[in-house]
This record gives sequence, structure tokens and C-alpha cells, in this order.
Amino acid sequence: MQRRLLTALPAISLAAVLAACGGSSSGGGTTPTPGSSSGGGASGSLTVGAAGFTESNLLAQMYADLLEKAGFTVNIKTVSSQEIFQSSLEKGTIAVVPEYAATYANSLETEVTGNQSPTAASPDLQTTLTNLEKYATQKGLTHLDPANAVDQNAFAVTTAYATQHHLTTLSDLGASGLSVKLAAPAECATRPFCKPGLQTTYKIKISSILPLAFDSLPAKQAVKSGKVQMALVATTDATLSSLGLVLLTDDKHLQNADNLIPIVNKADLAKHPEIATAINPLASVLTTADLGTLDNQVDGQRQTVADVATAYLTSKGLL
Amino acid sequence: MVLPAAGDCLLRNAWVCGKYLSTRRHIILADLKQHVILTLVAVAIGFLVSVPLTLLVRRFRRAEGAVIGLTSVLYGVPSVALFAVLVPFTGLTSTTVEIGLVTYTLVIFVRNNLAGLDAVPADVRDAAQGMGMGPLRMLVKVDLPLALPTILAGFRVATVSTVALVTVGALVGTGGLGQELNDAFSSYFKAEALTASVLCVLLAITADLLIVGVGWWLTPWRRGRPQ
Repeated sequence: MQRRLLTALPAISLAAVLAACGGSSSGGGTTPTPGSSSGGGASGSLTVGAAGFTESNLLAQMYADLLEKAGFTVNIKTVSSQEIFQSSLEKGTIAVVPEYAATYANSLETEVTGNQSPTAASPDLQTTLTNLEKYATQKGLTHLDPANAVDQNAFAVTTAYATQHHLTTLSDLGASGLSVKLAAPAECATRPFCKPGLQTTYKIKISSILPLAFDSLPAKQAVKSGKVQMALVATTDATLSSLGLVLLTDDKHLQNADNLIPIVNKADLAKHPEIATAINPLASVLTTADLGTLDNQVDGQRQTVADVATAYLTSKGLL
Repeated sequence: MVLPAAGDCLLRNAWVCGKYLSTRRHIILADLKQHVILTLVAVAIGFLVSVPLTLLVRRFRRAEGAVIGLTSVLYGVPSVALFAVLVPFTGLTSTTVEIGLVTYTLVIFVRNNLAGLDAVPADVRDAAQGMGMGPLRMLVKVDLPLALPTILAGFRVATVSTVALVTVGALVGTGGLGQELNDAFSSYFKAEALTASVLCVLLAITADLLIVGVGWWLTPWRRGRPQ
């Protein structure tokens, strides 16, 4: 996930600062935080964390709606990136956050082991969850049911190009022997999920990379205009069909299992097992296509996150 | 220019959009209120903290380098780094943001307080001493009124800079209108970005004018001169 990888960079140095300070201040964990609403407690009030971008804000709002329906008093804390609420989540002042299974498994592995090139994430969801749970437990965290919805990197071509060359999967493109120009951020050249993976896993010939932002309109327009043949986009991009673009299936599972998944504080969950029964029904309902549509209602049609989340849950009979 | 007669300004992602205001009125007002409170609390506490620091330097002149140096160094600490250090202790709360904001006002207040007090003419203080004033009466009756314009100038700078700095609190979920700016930046929402920016500027101007007004009221002997 490009935007998370990029926002993670300053956050990693931030995490390093946190780690350095954590060592010298053992009292930190026991310092009460009177100003924050406590996760759990007899009051039945909970805080849901949101990481400040549309998809995270939407999921957080849905969790909040579902928890309110279950009888909790809920408030949502929106911060600018996942790493910022991590310490509050581990303390339980934030009870639950929406995360991406593979990305989060890797970031937890880095946090727990200090390994800067983590291997916890896998294209296989079960493997990813097993690894995620292993590291989450050490931080007093656990996960609820992963959603069907996956926000992954994906590769889009024009519908005309796909029809002309009989392409539905990335393997088809590799077998076709076609040489493609790719619109993607510059780091695609070295990221395993991007150019190196396309070349080794799918034998796709990439003649050059046109450096354009992840899943951006300029990147998609470059494909549409024929300047490039393929662009790096997100599976939840709901604007592709309107631009005449289509995704090529990642049939050899190059991309990691970034299913949307609620991460909860274990102590909060033990105190309030209703958190799981409230939120889990969403997992089997929410699809990647749904998520794309909802993202687009907020980012494209500029509806409010609260309205979109509530309308969706109502339409699915969850509220 | 095509006049945007028809269509939805939200869908067109227009810079100026009435529908943005009407659909988000409650969110905007709540964040504006939070912005004002964060600013007021930071400036008030910042000034209260600066007073003993100023008096310390007045009493022990050798401490001046240390106090000014320390507050300058604190001013130089990036807010992101400050929050990173504070969050494990104070959590994602307004306390975290206020500690940062108060810290940043100190260098402004201490410098201006000192400059104001130092500029009180020596012959005026001599005369006051000759009239038998003790140190406390001297401070309240002579030093403070004469230093007031410079101290208030410090208030103006500290307040305006705090209004701008509050937005950084959005990093940890308490940033007043900064929340709008953050959201607008991540989803390229023009109306949201412009509205929040304009409100921040209006807030800063309003606060500045209020302080000028307070200064005019508190220093009747200076009326008619430029503030």
C-alpha cells in the first residue's frame, strides 16, 4: 500500500524515538491519562482509532456505529497515521482500530523484533493472521475477524488493451510477451511487489517506469491516453471502470493479504467480549467492491464519512 | 471561466462551496471551538509560566543566557518530535498538545517581558525609589505599566503564532481546524482546505485586534500613538 508505506517513513523514525524514550521511562505505562476517555471500564465507553485517511476513517466510523448499537458510548480519535495511536492501543485507551492484516503484521514484527525487513506478511491470509497474532499477543493485542475486503496494490490496463491481447490476469500479460511501460512511484523499481515481482513472478517485460503517484489520476490518465500501458492502482479504486480501465488479476498472489481487520486491545476485549460480537458481522459482508464504492462516495462525491458508513450498515441490515 | 451555475460544488471540488459549509457545519463549529480553547489555554498558561522565568532573570542576571537559550532550544524542537516523546505519557489528549503549545510561547513571552521591563527608564525607577517604593510596589506601579506595551506585543505574537501552531495538534487527533486541513490534504478536498485556512486567518486577526483593544484600554496615556 503505497500511501501507507510512504507515511510510514517518518513514523519509523518517530517509532525509534518512542523506543529510545520508552527504555528510560518505565513509569510511562502506569501514568494515568485522566484527560483521555478510558477504553473499557464500568462506564461502557470505548474509543475507536482512525488513521486519518478516508478508508480508515470509514471503517472506524462503522465500528463505532456497530459498538454504539451494542450499547457502548463511543468516541472516535482520528490521528494522522497508525503509528501514532499504537501506544494508546497497547495501553487500551484506544480499544479498537481498523488495520490492514499484512501491513500491520509487518509493522508489529518490526516493533517487536526490531527487524527492519519484516517477513510476517504473506499473500496467504491464514499465514498472515498466524504471524500477526504471534506478534500482537506480545503487545497485549489481538484481532477480530478479517473482512473479505482487501485493499491491495493492483495493476490496471485499458479495457481495449486487455481485449485486444486477451488479458485477464497478470500471467496472461507475462505469457503475451508484450513489453509495457508502467506508471508507478519511482520506488516501484525496487519494491518486491512491484517491478521486480512482475518480472520474476510473472515474466512481464517492463521497458520503463513513468514516475507518477500511486493510484493517482495522472497515472490512470497516462494509461488511458496510451502514454503507458499499465498503472499501479489500488484494488478499492472505484473510478477505474468509468475511466475505461480494468484490473489484471494477481493470479500468482504477488500481493500480500491486506484484508481489512479490526485490531483490539486484549484487556478491553476480555472486559467487553461484546466488542467482538458487535463488529464481527461486518467481516463477511464488506467486499472489496463495496469498500471501493464507499471510498468513492467520500473522496469523489464528498459525502461525509458518518453518512456513508451509517447508510452502508443500514443497507446491509447491520444497524 | 465557465460559471458554475449548475451542478454540485462538492462534486466539482470547488474552492468555495456553500454546500460544504451546510453539510459540515457542526464539525466545523466544534473544531473552531476546540481551536479557540486550545489557543486561550496555551497563551494563558504560557504567560503564567513566563512570569517567574522573567523575574528570575531580573533577579539573577546571569541566568538570562540560560533561560533565553533554553526557551529558544525548546522553540526549535519540532512538534512531531515533541508529540512523539509526550504521547506515551500523556496519551492522545489535549494535554499533549497544550504542553507543546505552551512550550512554544515561552521564548516569545520571556523575551518580550524582559525587553519591556529593561526599557523602563532608570531615572523613573530612581524617582520611585526616592519616593520610598519597595521592590514589589515598584514592579506593579512603575515597571509593569511602562512595560505593558511591549508585554502586550508579546501577547500578540504568541497568540497569532499559537493559532497557527494549534493545527499541528491534528497529528495526535486534537488540532482544532487542523483536523480539517489534515483531511483536506489527504483527500484533496479544496473547499475544506480553503474554509479551514480562512477561518484560521480570521481567528488570528480577531485575536490580534482584541489584544490591541485591550492594550488601548489598559494604557490610556498612550492613546493616539501607534500601537
